[in-house]
Amino acid sequence: MIRVGIMSFAHLHAEAYVHNLRANPHVELVGFADDDAVRGQQFSSQYSLPFFDTYEELFEQNLDGVVICSENSRHLEMVQMATRHGTHVLCEKPLATTVNDAESMVQACRSAGVILMTAFPMRFSPPLMEVKRFLDADGLGRVYACNSTNQGECPKHHRSWFVDPVLAGGGAVSDHVVHLADVLAWYLDDAVTEVYAVANKILYSGETEVETGGLVMLTYAKGTFATIDCSWSKPPYYPTWGGLALDLIGEKGVITANAFKQVMTVYRHTLQRPVYAYWGSDANQAMIDEFVASIQAKRQPTVTGEDGLRAVRIVEAAYRSIATGQPIQVLA
Amino acid sequence: MRVGIVGSGFMGNVHAQAWSKLPVTIAGITSLDRRSAEKLAAEYNAPVYDSFHKLLDHVDVVDICTPTYLHHEMALAAARQKKHIVCEKPLALNAADAREIVDVASQMGVKLLVGHVVRFFPEYAQAKSIVSEGQIGHVAVVRLTRCSFKPARGKPDSWFHDVSKSGGMMLDLMIHDFDYARWVAGEVVSVYARNIGNQFSGAPADYALAILTHANGAITHVEGGWVYPAPMFRTSLEVAGSHGLIEHPAASSAPLAFYLHRTSDDAPAIAVPTSPLAEDPYAVQIRHFYDLLSGRDDQERITAEDGFEAVCIAQAAIESARSGRPVMIESIKQEVVRR
Repeated sequence: MIRVGIMSFAHLHAEAYVHNLRANPHVELVGFADDDAVRGQQFSSQYSLPFFDTYEELFEQNLDGVVICSENSRHLEMVQMATRHGTHVLCEKPLATTVNDAESMVQACRSAGVILMTAFPMRFSPPLMEVKRFLDADGLGRVYACNSTNQGECPKHHRSWFVDPVLAGGGAVSDHVVHLADVLAWYLDDAVTEVYAVANKILYSGETEVETGGLVMLTYAKGTFATIDCSWSKPPYYPTWGGLALDLIGEKGVITANAFKQVMTVYRHTLQRPVYAYWGSDANQAMIDEFVASIQAKRQPTVTGEDGLRAVRIVEAAYRSIATGQPIQVLA
Repeated sequence: MRVGIVGSGFMGNVHAQAWSKLPVTIAGITSLDRRSAEKLAAEYNAPVYDSFHKLLDHVDVVDICTPTYLHHEMALAAARQKKHIVCEKPLALNAADAREIVDVASQMGVKLLVGHVVRFFPEYAQAKSIVSEGQIGHVAVVRLTRCSFKPARGKPDSWFHDVSKSGGMMLDLMIHDFDYARWVAGEVVSVYARNIGNQFSGAPADYALAILTHANGAITHVEGGWVYPAPMFRTSLEVAGSHGLIEHPAASSAPLAFYLHRTSDDAPAIAVPTSPLAEDPYAVQIRHFYDLLSGRDDQERITAEDGFEAVCIAQAAIESARSGRPVMIESIKQEVVRR
């Protein structure tokens, strides 16, 4: 059995991971620790999951792996605890709020000989995996361009730290650039050479000090250009949390892909507004399963800490572009 | 009111049909293609003139539906003869030419109505009303898409394929959405764009992505291209504001789809969904232009200045895609003044 613990329930995905970890027959979900004792008690009873008062007590449980769901700026200290105990790590995105921290995390895990996996579930989305297979078979020819969106509601309604510039690293750009930056790296197998970004604070203005709207253009070494819309442009009462979609323009034609299109619309008297109920495959489950499998097989996972670091470099460049109004050259 | 149609291609025909429903006389057709001019003229019992200048003598209003590179000289000539002007978009190939047309028309006291027909498409007009009424608050993030297949396939000599005549896809196609972005989100400050043409030499069709910043803080993403296989044509619009969101995704609002078994081998395999309306947007547009010209209306949905501004944004996008730097609209306008 692979013994796994969760470090912090600051990130709302921790709740989904409880379910995903328990669904994996090779996993024993040992428990969790959280600096917020009130939150700890709440989720402990809600999920009948052992809560440990300190992270040290959690690590005393002889864990094989941890899933880090703390605030973004605290990922580094969580990873440092894990490496001290020789524990493999799956870390929420963005990997860190600075390139320096992300580099430290990658280095620490490498030195400790432990796995570092970044939580990029889109690599495990069956529609997006099918696009990857098609691209690898040269189905589209050269990829010229990509128009992509990863829009959502402002997550402050779930956890207020998401709009704290220190704890989160920023707003919509910190939250919603990395998934697509990673998908594009996966699809194109090419390096970003330039980042241009613009952002504003009109959405949710007055409610937060961080940027809430953002558009980013990435240019790649072989000439491909891609835009990412990372805006928190869905209102909180939108039928779902948001979505992720992309159009790929290539020599042989166009592919449109949507990772969250497999939905039905449900109307409930108890809610009185429609909701999109997703019936597609659970990418988080496949991601957790890959983490566990890589621990068992003593191999690198299919998405690594380096992948997370690469995405953080792009986010940092985006913020510099926003500040200067100019495209930023990125060294490979 | 005597209207003369210049150009007998697709737009000449569409405009003529719209004028024919109004109490005007289609007083003449002229075109570089005599045969197609005669065909069009026959439909509306109009005379054919073998030169633009001869046509001018017999009309009150000239409707310029020629390739873009001819707009400048024709619009100036019409204005100098004190003829009112309807001109298809883009107003001109570049901002300086567009500025000159607007200025001369104004000096000569003639109306200049630029055919930015997207303002007359009901979904675009409705979204604009919703925004103007404040229903979604301050505009924050706008997304506009217009993608189709390469026009004039099988016509290698067509002016569409000659950038010096058409201005290329970024002017010819994207100008619709550059104008609309300005209409719905306010004055544009800068444009940063990339396109296939500058990134990959020898690609058969162009496609571009542009990021606009507006004076009021809004940001707009514009996608345009001729990269789809025929007969695909998709447009979409999305406007996110401080108090709401308008979504109008591609391909979801067509009320009709026909799935008919092929009766012959050359019947198309895919039927294009249709979106019937009581009045087609080109007719709505021409009718509005008629109301302005005849004095029935004085509230212009689109001004001559709007036509100039749209060319400025397109030119900024084209220059940005070439240089790799964002381009300020102010610098385009300063360049125009210097000329």
